[in-house]
Amino acid sequence: MSESNGHLQKKMLSNPPETIKVRIKRRENLKSDQYTDTFEVPYRRNLNVISVLMHIRKNPNTTDGRDVTPPVWDMNCLEQVCGICTMVINGHVMQSCSALVDDLLLESGDNTISLEPMSKFPNVRDLKVDRTPMFDHLKKVHAWVELDGSHDLGAGPAMPQETQQERYAYSRCMTCGCCLEACPQYDGDNYIGPQAIAQVRLFNMHPTGEMNREDRLEALMDDDGIANCGNSQNCVQVCPMGLPLTRAIYETNREVTVHGLFGWLRK
Amino acid sequence: MAIKFSRTFLLRKLHQITGIVPLGAFFFVHMFTNAKAMNGAKVFNDAVADIHHLPFLLLIEIFGIFLPLLYHSVYGIIISAEAKVNVVSYGFGRNWLYLFQRITGIFLFVFILFHLLHLRFGLFAGIGLTDIAVAGNASMAYEIIALDFQSVGIVIFYILGVGATAWHLGYGIFLFVVDWGIVVGEKAQKAALYASAFIAISLFGLGTNAIFSFIRPCGLMPSVLCEQTEKGKAVESEKF
Ligand code: HEM
Ligand code: SF4
Ligand code: SF4
Ligand code: FES
Repeated sequence: MSESNGHLQKKMLSNPPETIKVRIKRRENLKSDQYTDTFEVPYRRNLNVISVLMHIRKNPNTTDGRDVTPPVWDMNCLEQVCGICTMVINGHVMQSCSALVDDLLLESGDNTISLEPMSKFPNVRDLKVDRTPMFDHLKKVHAWVELDGSHDLGAGPAMPQETQQERYAYSRCMTCGCCLEACPQYDGDNYIGPQAIAQVRLFNMHPTGEMNREDRLEALMDDDGIANCGNSQNCVQVCPMGLPLTRAIYETNREVTVHGLFGWLRK
Repeated sequence: MAIKFSRTFLLRKLHQITGIVPLGAFFFVHMFTNAKAMNGAKVFNDAVADIHHLPFLLLIEIFGIFLPLLYHSVYGIIISAEAKVNVVSYGFGRNWLYLFQRITGIFLFVFILFHLLHLRFGLFAGIGLTDIAVAGNASMAYEIIALDFQSVGIVIFYILGVGATAWHLGYGIFLFVVDWGIVVGEKAQKAALYASAFIAISLFGLGTNAIFSFIRPCGLMPSVLCEQTEKGKAVESEKF
């Protein structure tokens, strides 16, 4: 470990294989059946899953000798901030741009890597999914601060440091979908999921955003609302941005109980 | 403050609260009553008779136990059916607890159904059990159960039943305090989890000792802990 230069030495394979096998779950379009293609890729130091996929795109021939169409996937920032490259790698949901081959092989003790699209979103093609449901959830819970107009409103109200810190943590969400993929209660439209709940918390904690607080709580008390959470806490374990998702859920549970369930006692 | 809530929201909240009151509260009382068996047949039979003499017993039974139980168990099975279990990929501790809550719930459905139909309504005489229901026969309650417990299978089934209920209620108390926003923070949740485990273990101990009290006096406890009245002993020896 050389920590002197500020870099953390990554764990590396001591005797890496010549080649690695990559098993990819594929699909032509939304309606067609899923199938698997296996590719072989020469090992290099510092490979990540995206560079593996790029190699396959240049040489799309399977291990059983077929020339196939190159697999399709999404990518953009390549530094784990946009969330679009999320897929299920060796059974765990993560970003393919920050998933390092050495780490994967060390963990599985195997020279094969399996890639699948996320299972909880419409699978457009191969490893590409449609993440629209998450943006619909954000609309449903009013995940923005309302503005009266474009005139100068002056400086916004001050926030306590503690509120700022908690809000900062929620603001890091990149809508990647990991939390929804790992949530045993989430499956399409039966449950809005932890990602939207965290954004409710973010905007309800904002002094101006708070004005729409009840709209947001009400959205979370709908049929697909917060009461569907089963407390498995998988979401907080898999979130790559370290959002305190369970804190968001339980703080919101409290608000929903006090203002939603027992609000009539204050009438 | 005109917040609307949906049907699912209300049904879920009702499911969560019925688990605590009346069902959870009833389970505490039930285990405590059963524990009286360690002090002998008479003490236990008197306790059963006391319950039979409660005012409005039928209403308490229907509205305090049967209906909440029916609702909680049927809706619980619906909730369990919705789960997309993924402990193989995501084997975190809480995820296993999530699964166990559903497994114990479904097991409890079978166990409680058997327990009620047999002891409340005297069914299942066919498999070598008595057809005398405890309900209405308070003076023979201890003897009826002692006879059932001559079968090792039944004893094991009951130990599993008590264990599953203690687990389900213990973790259920934790679930309730987080679902209603009573316990929010991570540290507080850890404390709540320990408290739940303590409650579950205590209830399991209490219930299991009660089971063995129908097999040997004072159950698994040393007899100094038990009040063996002369009368109690007499009834004991007259066991049929
Ligand atoms: C008889 C069949 C039963 C079934 C099928 C069942 C099923 C369930 C399920 C699936 C949950 C989890 C709900 C969720 O996480 O959203 C649950 C929670 C719970 N159950 Fe049961 N249960 C049964 C009996 C009981 C009994 C007898 C008790 C009391 C001793 C009980 C007490 C609780 C409590 C306290 C909770 C926590 C409520 C919450 O989630 O906040 N259950 N039950
Ligand atoms: S704690 Fe709730 S939201 Fe998070 S993964 Fe579990 S069920 Fe889903
Ligand atoms: S909360 Fe975390 S896991 Fe969920 S979408 Fe946002 S960044 Fe991804
Ligand atoms: S490409 Fe943006 S997170 Fe991977």
